[in-house]
Amino acid sequence: MGKIMILNGSPRAPKSNSKQYAEMFSKACAAETEYFAVTKTNHQAICHAMDGFSDVLLVFPLYADGIPVTLMRFLDTLAQNAPSRKPRVSVLINCGFLEPEQNNIAVAMLRLHCKENGYPFGSVLQIGSGEAILSTPFRILVRAKVKKLAAAIVAGQSQTWKVTMPISKGMFLKASTRYWVHYGKRNGITKEQMATMQIEQ
Amino acid sequence: MQLILSDRHIDLSGIEPSIPFIDLSKRNIANCVGCFGCWTKTPGKCVIRDDAVAVYPRIAESDRVMYVSRIKYGSYDTTMKTMLERAIPVQQAFIRLLHGETHHVQRRVAPKQAVVIAYGDLSAESKKIFRQLVARNANNMNFASYRVVFVPECDVEATVRKEAMAWAKS
Repeated sequence: MGKIMILNGSPRAPKSNSKQYAEMFSKACAAETEYFAVTKTNHQAICHAMDGFSDVLLVFPLYADGIPVTLMRFLDTLAQNAPSRKPRVSVLINCGFLEPEQNNIAVAMLRLHCKENGYPFGSVLQIGSGEAILSTPFRILVRAKVKKLAAAIVAGQSQTWKVTMPISKGMFLKASTRYWVHYGKRNGITKEQMATMQIEQ
Repeated sequence: MQLILSDRHIDLSGIEPSIPFIDLSKRNIANCVGCFGCWTKTPGKCVIRDDAVAVYPRIAESDRVMYVSRIKYGSYDTTMKTMLERAIPVQQAFIRLLHGETHHVQRRVAPKQAVVIAYGDLSAESKKIFRQLVARNANNMNFASYRVVFVPECDVEATVRKEAMAWAKS
């Protein structure tokens, strides 16, 4: 059984949902895992560490319909500092939208990046409503899919799963509004203030 | 309002009337840190007060935009992508339905005619993914219409000038 590097590519890694997904994966995985978070200054160190791993799981949020720049910059460094034995790359991506399919393009980008740079591509879990789902009872649905992802990576399989809140879009709009209103309230900001149409004024 | 947003210098001399041009490679723009401050602390304003705060209001108010970017593995390269990530203050945290999908509500963002000039990794697969990306951007960046133009790097300036001259004449 190989060893899996879990690499958090979220720009807010220490406080990110991606970190929670990474922890969930680590608990569900039968193989040994080690967690890393991409920062501005540790690209080279992660590239060097990658030599000791059979697999890499990239965990990150969808940003502007694609891969966050934090992770893109790391991939640039990795392209110039490839490990001697290239690990299989798998993906755990989440977006705040209800539809996990909104992650498709970011996954396609990573598949192509891996193809162009000679990394075998493994399995994928795409999470919708990923900003909030962990604080709902639907967390168990995510945990079940994360377990499947972990098993597939350990088995060296290439599979794709998707998971989101099993609610209607109308319910999701209401639930997400409540979520964000509560988020703003913690900062002393009202719903009306959050809904301003002004930009930089 | 018109705007050309580019990841490299483009010589637009001689094109009249002149079109606002921003060379992102000359701007100091940090990565978005995903703090949600622009949605939940200072709505409509990014908490990072660097050059990006002068750029996203220009994007929002423009009804005609031209983005010029290197692409790789079907994505904007990091210079343009950094700015696009920093432009999320033009959206609200709240979600709406658009074409049956969930998307963020826009603040005062003019509907846009967009032209995206892409150079760099022009493999068939990269171009296919990039087209899909811009189609998705259209939903999240309020593109009423858009065109993607793939060009070899040596033709970027000539292509941008041609597009800009067409704007100037219209």
